[in-house]
Amino acid sequence: MSQGVAVVGIGQTGFRARFDELTYPELAQQAAMRALQDARLSPDDVDAVVFSMAPTQFMGVNDCDKWSVDFVWARNKPFMRVHTGGATGGSALHAAWAHVASGQYRRVLVVGADRLTETPDAQFILNLIWDPFYEQDFALNTVTMTALSTQRYMARYGVTEEQYARVVVRARRNALNNPNAHLKGEITVDDVMRSRRVSWPYKLYDICPRSAGAAALVLADEASARELCPRPAFVTGLGAISNTVFQGDRAVPSSDAEFADHAELAIAARECYQQAGITKPAGEIQVAELYDPFSSFQFPHLESLGFCERGTAARLSDEGAFDMNGLVSVGPSGGTLCTNPIGVTGLVRVADAALQVMGRAGDMQVRGVRNALATAAGGSAQFHTCTLLSDEPRGRVHS
Amino acid sequence: MDIGVIGWAMHPPADAIRNARLEEIAFRTARAALDDADIERRQLDSVTLGACDELDGRSISSMLLAAPSGAYLKDEIRVTDSGMTALALSAMRVASGRFDLALVISWNQTSVVPVEDVMRMRAEPFFLRPVGMNATIADGLFAGAVGREHGLDEAAVADLTVERQRRAQANPRGLRRAPATREQVLASAVRAWPLRAGHQAPITDGAFAFVLASPRWLKANPAHRPIARLRAMSWSIDSYRLDAHRLGALDVFAHSLSDVLARSGRGASDPIDVIELEAQTGYHDAAFTRKLAERPVRAISPSGGTWAQNPLFCTGLANAAEAVLQVAGRAGPTQVPGARFALAHGCHGFAQQAHVFAAFERVES
Repeated sequence: MSQGVAVVGIGQTGFRARFDELTYPELAQQAAMRALQDARLSPDDVDAVVFSMAPTQFMGVNDCDKWSVDFVWARNKPFMRVHTGGATGGSALHAAWAHVASGQYRRVLVVGADRLTETPDAQFILNLIWDPFYEQDFALNTVTMTALSTQRYMARYGVTEEQYARVVVRARRNALNNPNAHLKGEITVDDVMRSRRVSWPYKLYDICPRSAGAAALVLADEASARELCPRPAFVTGLGAISNTVFQGDRAVPSSDAEFADHAELAIAARECYQQAGITKPAGEIQVAELYDPFSSFQFPHLESLGFCERGTAARLSDEGAFDMNGLVSVGPSGGTLCTNPIGVTGLVRVADAALQVMGRAGDMQVRGVRNALATAAGGSAQFHTCTLLSDEPRGRVHS
Repeated sequence: MDIGVIGWAMHPPADAIRNARLEEIAFRTARAALDDADIERRQLDSVTLGACDELDGRSISSMLLAAPSGAYLKDEIRVTDSGMTALALSAMRVASGRFDLALVISWNQTSVVPVEDVMRMRAEPFFLRPVGMNATIADGLFAGAVGREHGLDEAAVADLTVERQRRAQANPRGLRRAPATREQVLASAVRAWPLRAGHQAPITDGAFAFVLASPRWLKANPAHRPIARLRAMSWSIDSYRLDAHRLGALDVFAHSLSDVLARSGRGASDPIDVIELEAQTGYHDAAFTRKLAERPVRAISPSGGTWAQNPLFCTGLANAAEAVLQVAGRAGPTQVPGARFALAHGCHGFAQQAHVFAAFERVES
């Protein structure tokens, strides 16, 4: 029997290029400690631990999660590591939810850390995610891969590079309100347009940074959550989807989910919304913390998530619909475009969405948040997760 | 926990599967499990993978392997610890009430992977890696520690190793190798004292998949009778430090065992008909067996355990399959008469840092 689950504690380190003063497990410990303190729990109060970590090649220790066991107080407890590429943080949250919702455990810590700059160039590592026989030699990495889908989206809907640049400007401005953000500042569309060309249509500012840092959340069953936290963030909807790795198969007329539209995300969103009883996302969800490591992700994602019709997100963006306190506030934290510690980015998205619901987002706070959505995406943009956080345990997940 | 096991499959084991890529191994195994369950892929609402990038030889190995595992446009998730941990997560996902029909799958094709290089890179870079830590050395340290802790002598360990090999030869699901003699084990090369080559179960290639069903789905589909009930799972992890207590005491083994029995609603005197152990070496087998001495266990590793097959990352799932077959009365030559309650054990991490148990019960007609 499913039992209600809520976020009751959140811990994040700040995010920046390097943490030379901390080892990997010490970095994870910082986030775990802050989440436990936030939930006013001691390590002994935690029943199980889920570890969030994507490819370990970024930091060079294959079992970095096992190395971290003593540091995140997991010894003698159930412990598992979840890894779905860039979607890892979202999937880890879903795994932690299953621990509690199944009735097997009451309080679960989900924690992770990443340090992408331990390797000279993350994109060399990310070339290794492709098939060694067919695709690695094509110089595919996450930049060139998503540039292809972006070109396709531009051709279908007539979107311009300047419209993507406005997304970057908004994200960097929002990040000024986020003490944990890696990149932040007032920049202009011209600044973005003049930044170094990387892979058309991307310029350097269209691309997220390589971040280091850690994040942790404490999840609890509904009864514990109400005892521990004056305003928990209830998990009211979850959806996830896994598509084929092959991008060409998603770019043909017979495709089940169009490559340019990231259309598989719509399937995950539909499942998530059904659980939460959401029928009109644009009116019912006040905040969307998206996994948007590139400026081009927001438009197809907002459309797949049902906030607007296909091909309309760029125009709405120009009109300010996704600014703070707009139709939906997209990335009040600055989002993934400003901070991307890959193995925990999905967790950070959930953390920032939960803070909005809890009314504790500080300068990032959006008015009157009842529902906030967090997403994560990974692989060849083939894995997606959606998690809805709400101020009350409404919906089918809690029935 | 009340989860029905309605189908399972294993890829035929081999020292090296040379005629198939991992994707083909995963596809064949997933397909066979769905066939065994007599369901279509479209009926699945959850897929859980157990896979390790480093052993699979790719970063984010699920990119290529999720779809052939049956997860195309499904809610799919992956754990990297072991196949048994994937079973645990899959079971919790079903028990949450969110999913009704789940596939869990895991594989191992390390015949094409330098396993000890992967294990060496599992060591943290400040102390363990510079001293050359790898799986064999960690197992050697374990063997020395449990030998002292439990008073294991080399001859007794050799005898147990030969006994398991003899049982494995009778297992039609294993490789049916001819057993070694006690003298051959004792004369084999020292790998990491006191561990000898003859104590180490050879790693094999293989894959396992299970189809799990919720009570709600089973009630709505009475024609599908489960072959076993997954009653409980428990797993815990120990310290990363390889000190004498951590290696010798087997605290987490004992804790997880007690917990899975408690979650199964079983008292101290209730019989355990079968327990299938993941023992990578004879010393592990002897130490785990000593730890079970005060439990009413009727049969330990009747399948021959890791000597029948040892697909490293999913050896625990091989044990789960044997346990399911035991309570279903379908284990053939290795059947323990009247088996109604069986435990499967798996472990992972340096020197068995983590232990996982799954408890299966017979489904009465």
